[in-house]
This record gives sequence, C-alpha cells and structure tokens, in this order.
Amino acid sequence: MTRILLRNKLDDCIAAWRSAGFSVLAPVKRHEMSSFGEVQKSSDMALDLVLTERTIKDQFFPQTEPLIKYKIGKHQIDSETMTPPEQKRVFFGVRPCDASGLAIDDPLFGWDYKDDYWFRRRDNSVIVTIACAQADDFCMCTSVKLSPDSAKGADVLLRPLLEGSGWQIEVLSERGKALLEIVSSLLLEGNGHTFPLPQVAEKFDVEKVMEWLADPASFESQFWKDIALRCVGCGSCTFLCPTCHCFDIQDEGDTYQGIRRKNWDSCSFANFTMHTSGHNPRNTQSTRWRQRIMHKFNYYQGKFGVNSCTGCGRCTRQCPVDMGITETLQAITNLPR
Amino acid sequence: MGIQEQYRSEAAALLSSGEVKLVIGFGAGSTADRRRPLFARTPEEAQKFVLDAACIANLSTYLLAEGLLSDGKKVGVFLKPDGIRSVNILISEAQLKPEQVVILGYAIENGKDVAALEGRNISDFSIGEKIRNLTPPPHVIEAAEKIEAMSAEERFEYWKEEFSKCIKCYACRQVCPMCYCRRCIVDVNQPQWVSTSSHTLGNFEWNLVRAFHLAGRCASCGACDRACPVNIPLRLVNYRMGKEVRSAFDYVAGENSDQKPVLASFKQDDPETFIL
Repeated sequence: MTRILLRNKLDDCIAAWRSAGFSVLAPVKRHEMSSFGEVQKSSDMALDLVLTERTIKDQFFPQTEPLIKYKIGKHQIDSETMTPPEQKRVFFGVRPCDASGLAIDDPLFGWDYKDDYWFRRRDNSVIVTIACAQADDFCMCTSVKLSPDSAKGADVLLRPLLEGSGWQIEVLSERGKALLEIVSSLLLEGNGHTFPLPQVAEKFDVEKVMEWLADPASFESQFWKDIALRCVGCGSCTFLCPTCHCFDIQDEGDTYQGIRRKNWDSCSFANFTMHTSGHNPRNTQSTRWRQRIMHKFNYYQGKFGVNSCTGCGRCTRQCPVDMGITETLQAITNLPR
Repeated sequence: MGIQEQYRSEAAALLSSGEVKLVIGFGAGSTADRRRPLFARTPEEAQKFVLDAACIANLSTYLLAEGLLSDGKKVGVFLKPDGIRSVNILISEAQLKPEQVVILGYAIENGKDVAALEGRNISDFSIGEKIRNLTPPPHVIEAAEKIEAMSAEERFEYWKEEFSKCIKCYACRQVCPMCYCRRCIVDVNQPQWVSTSSHTLGNFEWNLVRAFHLAGRCASCGACDRACPVNIPLRLVNYRMGKEVRSAFDYVAGENSDQKPVLASFKQDDPETFIL
C-alpha cells in the first residue's frame, strides 16, 4: 500500500516541516523569473511550470559565495573562514532533471577534496521530486537516459494523481523517510491513478555521440567550427545548466582587507582560459563550445562514469541564438561514419 | 515570388558572383516558431534561408565578429530597420567600412507581413525620419513612466530587485551590436575593475556600466532584452538613456552613417547644464 499526499494538505505539511526547523523551498515566480525560493504556503509555489528558468543548483552552489574574510595587519594576517549556513531545507517540487543534476555533481565536489560548501548544503537538504506531467519542445531527458520520473538525486518521488488532487508517494532514502514521518498524520493510505508521463522523444543517440567524441580525430574536426559559428559567447547555457559547476576565485577589497569569493565562471568566456602571458589556448568560440560538449560527454564520463547532462534543455530553451546541446548532439549523431 | 525566395536567389547570386564571401541570414530554428542565424558561403546554402515575421534578431551583431571583415571582403546580411540603424552607428563610430556590407533589407509590418526594403548599400536607406518618430510599444512607455514617477529610493529598490536576478552571463553584451570592445571592462582583471560577483554592488556595476556605455548609441533593437535569460527589463534602461541624450543634445543614434557620435564629439552650442 502506498501513501498519498493531498494537495489540500500541502499547507499543513509546509507548516509542520517549518515547525520542525526546515525551510521549505519550491518553484516560485517572482519579478518575471522562475527559480527556487523559500515559501510559506502552497499558494506561493509555481508547481505547474514545466521547469523553472533558474536551476536548483543555485541553492547548493550560489553564484557568489564568500569564502574568507581577511585583514592584513602590520605584523599579522587575520582571516576568518566563512561557512555556509547549516539550515535544514526541504526542496519541494524539484523536477527529475534538476534533482539528477545534484547527484551528477556530487562526485565532482567530493573528488580529491570534499567541498564543504556543497556538502553542508547537500547534507542538510531533502529533495522531494515531482514526476513531470508535461514536457516542452526542449526537454530531452530520455536522450541522456533519464526519464520524466527519474528518481536520481531524490529522497522522495511524488507522482501527480490524474485528477490533480495530490501525489502518490515513493520514499527513496532514510532522509526522505524522516521527512515524511513529520507529516505522517497528514498522509492518506491508498493507491491513486497517476498522471501518464509525458512523451519525451529521443532526440539523439548518446552512445554514438560518445563514440565519436572519444575518437581523437574528432577533436580537430571542422564540425566544431561550423556548429559554433553563431555562438555569441555568452554564459547563459552554462549558468542555467543544472550541472555546470565551474567557478573562479576573486579577492574583493583593498590592500589591507577584503573578502575572497567563489564566483560562477563559464567555459564560454574567453577569460576562462586566458593565461597571464596573454596566450589563450581556447582562443575561439568553437574551441570553447567543443570544450563544453567534451566535458559533458567525454571527460566527465571518463572521470566519474556519468555524463554531465540531465536533459533539462535549458541551454537551448534560453539560448539567444537557438543553439544548445540538443542540436550539437543531433548533428554528431547524424554525421556520416 | 515571395520575399523569402527573392532573397534566397539574391543571396545565391551574390555568393556565386563572388561579390560577397558570406551571407548572414536566418534559417529554421529548433521549434516551429524559432529562427536562428544562418551563415551561407555557397549558393546552395543560401537556399536554406528563411525570411518571415519570426526573423526578429538583429544580425548586425555578427558583422564585428573577430576577423570577419579583416580581409577586406564583403559580407551580405539580412537586416531590419533596427539592424540598418545599428550599421549606421557602427560606421559613424568607424567600426565598419560601408563598402564591406551588402544589405538585404526587410521590414516586418503589422507583426506578420515581410516587405523588402529598396537598396543594397547603407547609403541607400534613409531611415532617419522613421527613427526620429519611433515610439516604443505602449507597455514599455507605461512601465518607464511608472519608474520615472518613483522616488529615488523606490527606484533604487526597483532596480536592486531587478538586477539581483542578474547571473552575469553577459548575454546582453554578447548579442549587442554596439558592445564590440575586444576586451570589455568587466573582463579586464589585472586588476578586476568591475566586480564579477553578483552581489548588489556587482550587479549595479555591470548593468550601469553597460547602460552608460550605450547612452546615445543604442539602436533600440531589443536584442539585450530578448536575450536576458532572467528577464531583466533592459529595454527600460536603454529607453531612458536614449531619452536623456535626446533631450540634452537633440540626438537620435543611427539616423545616418555620417552622424558624429554624440558623446565623442563637441559642439559650441552643447548645453553645459552639468557644469557647476
């Protein structure tokens, strides 16, 4: 027997989680932009969006994060390490692609060094994914071997009920179990009819793509120059990507004191690889776009055994010149072999 | 013959005669209502051009792509009046040689019909009067007036909220034909003059630096506004800057290519109200 969370009990759940010390974050639409933000009640949530414009990544890897405060004195340097808050958080209404992004980035942030900033937030967060009931033209999760009801990265998976009255619950982790314990009296026992999953057509053959990328001859292919010709070199695809994780360290302050910050950076930017000498090994947009694709579907795979793409489609959806991973990987799939 | 077929064959003719090395136009996009920039180097590729009311991007931004025009050869480009206006500004700022640009001009009328514009060289297009009388859509004016009616504190709060969405992807800069600096001030990092952090100061620094640099130079094509992935109403910033410049100097950017850039030139009768 599974359990059901009724939509009309959601406000009570939020209140119960909040009084248990959790902040509740969900998709919200504020100032013409959708993202994950704190909510007090269910009417604050924008649960009907296909996907928020900003990803859930922002809440684990903020675009700017203070690391150290420092002061240089005459005889000593005082520094204070700034740590992220340990606030317990529930993320309600995460899409499977976004939750997958967290799981994909975990090994990266825990590889040779455990990134405390990432894991402190990860360890204090419970991810409640809601399976998709709709998809748009840019969704491509099935092409990267995920699905509209992928449980990857989730502690709880909710499936919307056909009549829209609530969600059927699937508990996936101890953390998820503990979260539902708090609201157990608000849940119903039962099996509902769940909403059919949207059809997300496979848009490219990822195996074929990976094979082509792994061929050393492909690296200098004319293909990269042709496909990246219209790329204007902004960072929107990387910053809106649920798995892109590159950052830069910046010191802000004067000669005597300041704050060291970790700021998002993007492989789309020329500065990203600019050497102090002025030499830039990736001095054209095509080499930068190639890097992005190689990183996601070759290097990351080689290092962590997984591709660094969740199929959310934001790169194309929000690209000012209608580029993106889908088009590139489609074109690679269709290359004559 | 519709304009699409007409321009496909004109582009093909320009390419096969060798008059231009490249034509920049539009092709089909990833969805039925999207168009994407398409670069044709052969007459065959020119057959893929699409020209309809969905072709709203300002392609002049590609004209200053690094190295594109450095060989002195000509390039063809599909441009609406806002693109022609951009080319006027770029020529007046000595960034383009007029003879290197062959324009396939078109106008979108009533949001659905596409009409060809007569002429091929920038000097063939007299858009000055049209630009002078150009008014933004009513909702933009309404939003701008609302902001102008605010107190300084309210206005600051408004923009603080809007700019707090900024992710510093610089899409606004990258799609803008007027943002042609080979090294933007935010990318000058020895020292880092403009903060790359997305805190209040960093967000204001970036967005205000761009607004100031566009004052009296914006072609009002709306590319930045459309490109912004977090929907900051950049049109309102640029509209206001344009208004300031017009009221101070009676100057409207891009009327023709002989204009002197307003903030880079001097007239005896310029108002000096800002000098105390």
